[in-house]
Amino acid sequence: MGMREKIEAAAGRYPDRRSAIMPALLIAQKEHGHLPGPVLEEVADVLGVERIWVYELATFYTLFHTEPVGMFHLQLCDNVSCMLRGAEALLAHMEAVLGIGKGGTTSDGLFTLSTVECLGACEMAPVMQVGDDYHGDLDVARIDTLLDHLRRAGSGVPLAPRAGA
Amino acid sequence: MVRVTIDDHELEVEAGSTILQAAQSLGIEIPTFCYMKRLPPLASCRMCLVEIAGLRRLQPACATAVADGMAVRTNTPLIEETRSSMLDMLLANHPLDCPVCDKGGECELQDMVMAYGPRRSGFRDPKRVFHSHDIRLSPVIIMNVNRCIQCQRCVRMCEEVVGAVALGTVEKGMDTAVTGFEGSLASCDQCGNCVEVCPVGALMSFPYRYKARPWDLVETDTVCPHCGTGCQLTVGSRKGEFMRVRSKEEHGVNRETLCVRGRFGLDFVASRDRIRSPMIRRDGALAPISWDEAGAYLRRRLSEVGEKSAGGLVSPRLPNEVIYQFQKLMRTVFRTNSVDCSSRWVMPFDMLGPLARFYTRAPLQEVLGSDRVLVVGGNVTEENPVTEYLLRDSVRRRRVQLLILSARPSRLDADARAVLRVRPGAETVALAAVLAELTAAAGQVPGDHTSNGGSAASADDGRQRLAAALLDGKRATVFVSVDLLRSPQSRATLQQLDSLLQLLQALGKNPQMQFLFDRANQLGAWDMGALPMAFPGWRDVADSTARASLEQAWRAEVSAVPGADFGAMLDLCEQGRMGALYIVGSDPLASFPDRGLVQRGLGAADLLIVQDAYLTETAALADVVLPASGYGEETGTFTSNEGRVQKISKFREPPFEARNNLTIFDFVATLRDKVLQPSSPDEVFDEIARLVPAYQGLTRQELGPDGAFTKAAPVSPAAGGAVSPPPQDVGNGLVLVTGNGLFHNGYLSERSEILNTVADEPYVEMSSQDASRLGLIDGSPVVVRSARSELTAKLKVNRHFPEGLVFVPENYIALRLNALMRRGEYPCPVEIEPAHTSLTAAAAAGTRPLELDI
Amino acid sequence: MSERVLLRNVDVPDGHLISAYEAGGGYRALAKALREHTPDEIIELVKNSNLRGRGGAGFPTGMKWSFVPKQANKPKYLCCNADEGEPGTFKDRIIMERDPHQLIEGMAISAYAIGAETAYVYVRGEYVLAIRRLEQAIAEAHAKGYLGTRILGADFNFTVHVHCGAGAYICGEETAMLDSLEGKRAQPRLKPPFPAVAGLYASPTVINNVETLVCVPHIVSRGADWFRGIGPDKSPGPKLYCVSGQVRRPGLYELPMGIPLRELVDEHAGGALQGRKVKAVIPGGVSASVIPESGLDVRMDFDSLAAVGSMLGSAGVIVIDDTTCMVKVATRIVEFFHHESCGKCTPCREGLNWVFKVLRRIEAGQGAPDDIEQLQGLCKGIFGNTFCALGDGAAMGLRAALAHFEHEFTAHIEEHRCPFH
Ligand SMILES: Cc1cc2nc3c(=O)[nH]c(=O)nc-3n(C[C@H](O)[C@H](O)[C@H](O)COP(=O)(O)O)c2cc1C
Ligand code: SF4
Ligand code: FES
Repeated sequence: MGMREKIEAAAGRYPDRRSAIMPALLIAQKEHGHLPGPVLEEVADVLGVERIWVYELATFYTLFHTEPVGMFHLQLCDNVSCMLRGAEALLAHMEAVLGIGKGGTTSDGLFTLSTVECLGACEMAPVMQVGDDYHGDLDVARIDTLLDHLRRAGSGVPLAPRAGA
Repeated sequence: MVRVTIDDHELEVEAGSTILQAAQSLGIEIPTFCYMKRLPPLASCRMCLVEIAGLRRLQPACATAVADGMAVRTNTPLIEETRSSMLDMLLANHPLDCPVCDKGGECELQDMVMAYGPRRSGFRDPKRVFHSHDIRLSPVIIMNVNRCIQCQRCVRMCEEVVGAVALGTVEKGMDTAVTGFEGSLASCDQCGNCVEVCPVGALMSFPYRYKARPWDLVETDTVCPHCGTGCQLTVGSRKGEFMRVRSKEEHGVNRETLCVRGRFGLDFVASRDRIRSPMIRRDGALAPISWDEAGAYLRRRLSEVGEKSAGGLVSPRLPNEVIYQFQKLMRTVFRTNSVDCSSRWVMPFDMLGPLARFYTRAPLQEVLGSDRVLVVGGNVTEENPVTEYLLRDSVRRRRVQLLILSARPSRLDADARAVLRVRPGAETVALAAVLAELTAAAGQVPGDHTSNGGSAASADDGRQRLAAALLDGKRATVFVSVDLLRSPQSRATLQQLDSLLQLLQALGKNPQMQFLFDRANQLGAWDMGALPMAFPGWRDVADSTARASLEQAWRAEVSAVPGADFGAMLDLCEQGRMGALYIVGSDPLASFPDRGLVQRGLGAADLLIVQDAYLTETAALADVVLPASGYGEETGTFTSNEGRVQKISKFREPPFEARNNLTIFDFVATLRDKVLQPSSPDEVFDEIARLVPAYQGLTRQELGPDGAFTKAAPVSPAAGGAVSPPPQDVGNGLVLVTGNGLFHNGYLSERSEILNTVADEPYVEMSSQDASRLGLIDGSPVVVRSARSELTAKLKVNRHFPEGLVFVPENYIALRLNALMRRGEYPCPVEIEPAHTSLTAAAAAGTRPLELDI
Repeated sequence: MSERVLLRNVDVPDGHLISAYEAGGGYRALAKALREHTPDEIIELVKNSNLRGRGGAGFPTGMKWSFVPKQANKPKYLCCNADEGEPGTFKDRIIMERDPHQLIEGMAISAYAIGAETAYVYVRGEYVLAIRRLEQAIAEAHAKGYLGTRILGADFNFTVHVHCGAGAYICGEETAMLDSLEGKRAQPRLKPPFPAVAGLYASPTVINNVETLVCVPHIVSRGADWFRGIGPDKSPGPKLYCVSGQVRRPGLYELPMGIPLRELVDEHAGGALQGRKVKAVIPGGVSASVIPESGLDVRMDFDSLAAVGSMLGSAGVIVIDDTTCMVKVATRIVEFFHHESCGKCTPCREGLNWVFKVLRRIEAGQGAPDDIEQLQGLCKGIFGNTFCALGDGAAMGLRAALAHFEHEFTAHIEEHRCPFH
């Protein structure tokens, strides 16, 4: 299914096409990686809704990105439960290893590093979300393994089966 | 009704009222930011919190409905502390740059802090700064996000009142900011209502920026000259120079709103193409002379013309006093009934009488109180924007069912219950069909004809839904666009309308009707008798009682012979039978839908007198040009579409040698050895109030800030009964219609630098189907060709347009649109092709800049 | 340990598949409801069970359902609140990932009770696995006739759609969720009208939390008395507790409503980490006020916690030990609320920002003597005056932290540093 068909399918779930803006943006972001102006316009056109409505949502919700992000978006939770379990040290470690600050993207475009609010997985704090996956009970060693793994995946090196992912 | 106590005052209010409304009725002030009278409460600013006995928490007065027995306090120490705390929090991040803020001195936040605010703040951390520079959202709107207090008035105004949905809110929490799509408002209506409702200096008018401090301004309340809605506005000038326009929440049909023309289009008053001194044609060219010389010259030319027939055309943008006095001048001094006030259409006078019975001279709000509102013709969004705001409001908030029958789509279609899209020129047939449907349906069991809910309704469907809705309703209001008068079928169309109104009457729907005029004083012009068949008060020139009373009042003889309308005057000219043709404030060469005819006619009159503020194309053809005051330079009154007479005020002096219109009429009368009494605007108004029945009893003093309503004129009923429409062939090719665009409605707007900046360049609008069939590309130049001429402009594809419809706005002088038209043929059949195939012709016909031969 | 009801399937291998769910007796409650009860009887049953909403506010579920107008010419909607944004909370995720059919069955019965034919599950966008599992489960349930038209032969049609959130805590607030579902910026709505009367698309709408909905099948199959027999009568039932933070065995625990907090932390979750002592516990997600160690005997139910000035909230129990700086915890919590404020109302948007700036300064050792007074003043301006409960929760939490741990704040200000570093 192309982007338009997917958006149409999503719109079919609601009595009002405006409701489909959020699902459409998620679809568009999957397709384009992020949501620049022309993509927002296309979403508005497909749904036949006001452009400003699309723009409003694309900026209100944190999962939408109007600016490009790296291939792997490292989203470390640093809310209370993870903080109590050492998230700060992990952040410092990743900043050092990747050579970027919070919010930054590595020059090879591989990693963007962010901290996020509670991921709803505090039983395995500290937790980090990368793409669709949660990685819990993290410590420095596990982070290193994970980053290594991602780096190889990103540079096209075949993946060894992952433990605990 | 419920009984409530507010601060120990007991009162009864309607159930459902809010505490804020109840308090206001007692004169108790409760501070608000996010509250807007015309919209449902948002309750987000929390300034209006009050105490309700029995409730633990403070409640927002703006959003809390009163309940029987409720006891409210609005002034306890807790409330005072809370208000002060809200303001303290707002100020914590508000840049205190009041000295360089355009809003300084009229800022609600400043005032509120003064009244309720803390006297000191403990805040010492750095303030939030979004941007260090202000953002130019559009040519007329500029934003300082740092100052925004998030009341959302602007966004709600834009979406809910104006319907433009151009402004929005991005990000969340502390990062929340108001802006347009991708940070731009380049393609919004530019109405500036967002600027008007902004309580602080966040949204600002770019043209007014850094121009004045509010306390430097002399403010003058007056009425907008741009369309017949009759919006009130307040002009701010400084040292006699025009600075800005604002609207006032308390006054006028428009309250705090205006459209782009009213808010930003008044800078035409400083337009540079003013006529500086009287001019006469000498060796084929206009040459400036003094008033005295002009008098001598004109006296001679007038005596040469002698008793040969005369004719007069006066603009419906001029005040009642001017128009009244002009028709009196023509009738008594020139001894002719050939007076007209429209250069764009013919008003079939015999239909004026019957329709007058239904014309409801009452506030729009009241007329919109019907549960069914039918709009016939036109595009109210672009022609009467503020009327459109009220229509939208009545649909969205008062569950009025809106029905539309028109050729041109408009933004309001989206809010309509039924839209009957007709082919231009087929309005008459469509009205007849609705009438038939309604007659048939009325015979059936009521309630049997509910709408079938279909969305993309066919014409049949639309007609049925429309008729069914009218029949189901309790009361019906019909708005008639003057677009319909452009058609050679206008008489038949008005007959159908009359029959429809009569049927609605018979069905007990208590029909009301108003015209949607696109000229500020069109109704006034008719009332004042700028009509060849009617005296002031819509009275037939054949009516001997009316004539006798006027003759007595004017101490002059008045002809009983019907005069010529402007088209007929041109015929007289062509036939060499026109002595003096006197044109006041009108530019028929640019607007009459047959440019060739006007050109020939004006050239063939013995004597062409043009009295105007601006050097129009028509003035350039005159024998004598008399410089007159423009809008804002003389006082008077306008009568709006509602039938409301409102004062227009003077806020600047006429420049150069220009004189008041009334003074010039006196001057011309004396040249024919007549005296035209009285001659001050106030005295003329008094005479109108004496002699025009609908104005009887009005005094200028009593025209308060909201004006006064004229009365429906008692008119002789005409023969009723539905007449079948004449058979007509509208064909199925492309047909061109014209009208106003949002940014332009001619003459005045064309002279506004700001409107010219925001307006699109001239465009040709058509459906996507037609465009793709013809291989035309949106945004590229196309040639529109009629039997007469052609023009070139940018194509604008409109996916709401029906096939066959071509629209070109009438107000781009350089386009010479009226050169394509032929009298008696409207809509005008055209062909369209991409511009490159005939580049040379295009350059010759369309895009040549205006040159005056002076 | 008592019987696990809500979590009985979570450890079953492939428990998310319909086969496993059916094998464990799944969808029998739905069949029973459709065959043996009228919608009104189900509402009555749920009323009698005294089930109170598990999303945070503890509103009686049966009563909420009864507000839905019986005759309405508009469609009715059921919305499942699976936004689970409250820090410290993860119960809904585990149910959706490992036992999605339990939720679908709960929704089907609830929809039947209120007369809804359409439901939206608003799942936070981060929960990718939960979303996938739910969608798969919905497809399975359709295939088996538990969803769709004429369900199990009864005169009942019902469809469930998953709506993905996109990262905004405020979407958990029920009216903000409705705006979000309608494609608007998620901001709370004015009440009245209440959602039960005019909610989603201005139609009657019931919003319930995941855990609330999964209680329903069990009430139908085992009866209201069984449910009321667990825990305090006014706030009964099996309850999911999310334990996290500085504790030996963080995890999801199903235990009766009303067990003492101390028992939960010390016995079930194994108490403080090696060599440390519990200093304080946040009992119901960060919106709930912190309880110092001395208060841990409080029982975990709506009324008992409210009585001590805190709340059960989402039952996200966060354990804080004596190595941790309370100023830091308080600052992080305020940072969260400040970040997640939707921006609608003045006190929350502006006030929390101000509070955060002051706290950050104190934490960094740059506090001024009157800062605490200023914080108190700000809490006063915010508390009770915000549009929704987000701002309130933030102010209340900070007040509790100041009340119980003022000495830690003053130490920061006086020593110009964090005493824990
Ligand atoms: C700021 C805020 C956030 C909330 N977040 C959630 C949430 O994530 N999940 C939830 O179920 N309820 C949440 N709620 C409570 C909901 O508003 C609502 O009360 C609940 O979904 C009703 O369901 P229940 O009666 O089953 O508990 C939140 C409330 C507020 C004020
Ligand atoms: S308290 Fe106000 S700003 Fe904060 S989340 Fe609620 S409505 Fe939004
Ligand atoms: S005016 Fe009532 S909350 Fe803003």
